[in-house]
Amino acid sequence: MSSASSLVVLDNGAYTAKIGFSSDEEPKLIQNCIAKAKSERRKQFIGNQYEDCRDLSGLYYLLPFQKGYLVNWDVQRQVWEHIFGKEVMNLEPPETSIIITEPYFNFGSIQDAMNEVFFEEYQFQAIHRTNAGTLSAFRCKKEPPKELCCMVVDSGYSFTHIAPYYDGKKVGNAIRRINVGGKLLTNHLKEILSYRQLHVMDETYVINQVKEDVCYVSSQFMPDMEITKLKGAENTIVRDYVLPDFQQIRRGYVKDESSASSANEQCVSLQIIRMNNERFSVPELLFNPSDVSIQEMGIPEAIVHCIGLVEEEMRPHLYKNILLTGGNSLFPGFKERVERDVRAMAPLNYDVRVTLPEKPITYSWQGGKLFSAAENFKELCVTKKEYEEYGQSICLEKFDV
Amino acid sequence: MVMAEAKTKQGSSRLKDANSRKILDQYSRAKRLRKQLEALEQDNFQEDPHIHLNTPNKKLPQFDADEGAPTKKKRKTTRGDHFKQRFRKTFASLVEEEQMSLKEPPNYMTACIPQSKFPARKFCSVCGNPSNYTCVTCGSRYCCVRCLGTHQDTRCLKWTA
Ligand SMILES: Nc1ncnc2c1ncn2[C@@H]1O[C@H](COP(=O)(O)OP(=O)(O)OP(=O)(O)O)[C@@H](O)[C@H]1O
Ligand SMILES: [Mg+2]
Ligand SMILES: [Zn+2]
Ligand SMILES: [Zn+2]
Repeated sequence: MSSASSLVVLDNGAYTAKIGFSSDEEPKLIQNCIAKAKSERRKQFIGNQYEDCRDLSGLYYLLPFQKGYLVNWDVQRQVWEHIFGKEVMNLEPPETSIIITEPYFNFGSIQDAMNEVFFEEYQFQAIHRTNAGTLSAFRCKKEPPKELCCMVVDSGYSFTHIAPYYDGKKVGNAIRRINVGGKLLTNHLKEILSYRQLHVMDETYVINQVKEDVCYVSSQFMPDMEITKLKGAENTIVRDYVLPDFQQIRRGYVKDESSASSANEQCVSLQIIRMNNERFSVPELLFNPSDVSIQEMGIPEAIVHCIGLVEEEMRPHLYKNILLTGGNSLFPGFKERVERDVRAMAPLNYDVRVTLPEKPITYSWQGGKLFSAAENFKELCVTKKEYEEYGQSICLEKFDV
Repeated sequence: MVMAEAKTKQGSSRLKDANSRKILDQYSRAKRLRKQLEALEQDNFQEDPHIHLNTPNKKLPQFDADEGAPTKKKRKTTRGDHFKQRFRKTFASLVEEEQMSLKEPPNYMTACIPQSKFPARKFCSVCGNPSNYTCVTCGSRYCCVRCLGTHQDTRCLKWTA
């Protein structure tokens, strides 16, 4: 139900689109993909429709993004039409303004195509294109303790960005990308499990859940490694994970060692994966990409590196306001590890403060919601009229992407 | 690669043999690594479950290259060639375009974080434990005799094919 003129915020991630009216408390999270199942021969599942599919084994994905950039427009259009349509938002684009996010250093032709699609195809009333991190920095600036500088770490599906902000404005030449994100972690977990235990290369959906359910970031990597070599009760890290079979078990879970197996477990022959050093060696790639021969710094070293790229006066302010956003920051232990490692590498006289918001995935969407209420928001939008008159150039001028 | 292999066989002196094998190794090691890294970016490993079904369904909109989802709404979809092209760029061509452009940095390429100052750690390619040994044949890491055995029976050199 859209009112006369409404405003929508769309944080268009490669994994999920976060979308909602600026009047909503929380956005909806819609998978940014089209999925195909083996069991449904004719049907495709757009966005979250796959939830209605009985058998999710071997789920096959069509993704709009590659390496974090929008390249598969056919898929993206179908997902957007689904999201804007009756099933999700039920928008009237001509009566709607939209804030939409895109990755840092988005390619020129993708930017042009975005303007074209949003104005010419969907006919939105006005648009504002920005980076998710910019919305996060905006929110951070507004909330206590209202720091002027903010070091945004956005670790999502495709990659991780380290982006310094000064008074809500990004310091473009000090932003860096680590080519490790949640997609790579899940693929790596699939790979090592398939080699060591059970062929799960086709089970991206299931193994992604395994990752989210049992992986964590270790703050004592080598000692934890030693623990995983121990047998029996001494190994406090190992977990047995029951995979879903989509007959009796719809969702996988950690097997409870202490209690007797449930009635369900007794009659079904369970498929179990043993998660041992895999629990922490997978998220570890965010901290040591070189563990899989990606010759890049990990997050803490990258933070220190990026802070070194900004003017000296700004540095202490960035160290004391490091903001963790994106899905990977939900790994247990993530914040503690970032804090510990940055502390160890930072100059001693600087305070190091790391913040993990309660909801790091929708933090930037909330920033967009706040931003839409800002005084100068209207000026920072391009209206359809302006686009018709000035074309791409006014978008280049107004949007800081 | 085939050629390089043939070359090692022709080599007569042991020294020459060892040398050319080393070159071969480096090449195929790099190739194996590249394959591993590409696999980490892949969307799917299985084939499209509908791949054999799509052929008869040809009422597709014009820029639907490979998919058979009937688009319900009638949007403005008449476009010139240039438009279609813009929506068909691969990631590689986008990067290339950016490299050719005269825009000032920063850009996608300059934003990549550099290499770590810390030395890379070594883990067993079989079990994931810290590893002290390197397979002489292929350069993979292993941690114990058992893992070496598994490695030789399974992956050693297999990925270089
Ligand atoms: N509880 C969790 N623990 C670990 N990882 C998680 C958790 N929840 C989500 N993730 C991971 O976070 C990633 C998605 O994060 P996010 O929504 O920030 O990405 P995105 O914005 O869609 O992608 P991008 O910003 O790269 O375009 C996925 O890989 C997902 O598996
Ligand atoms: Mg994101
Ligand atoms: Zn081993
Ligand atoms: Zn080997």
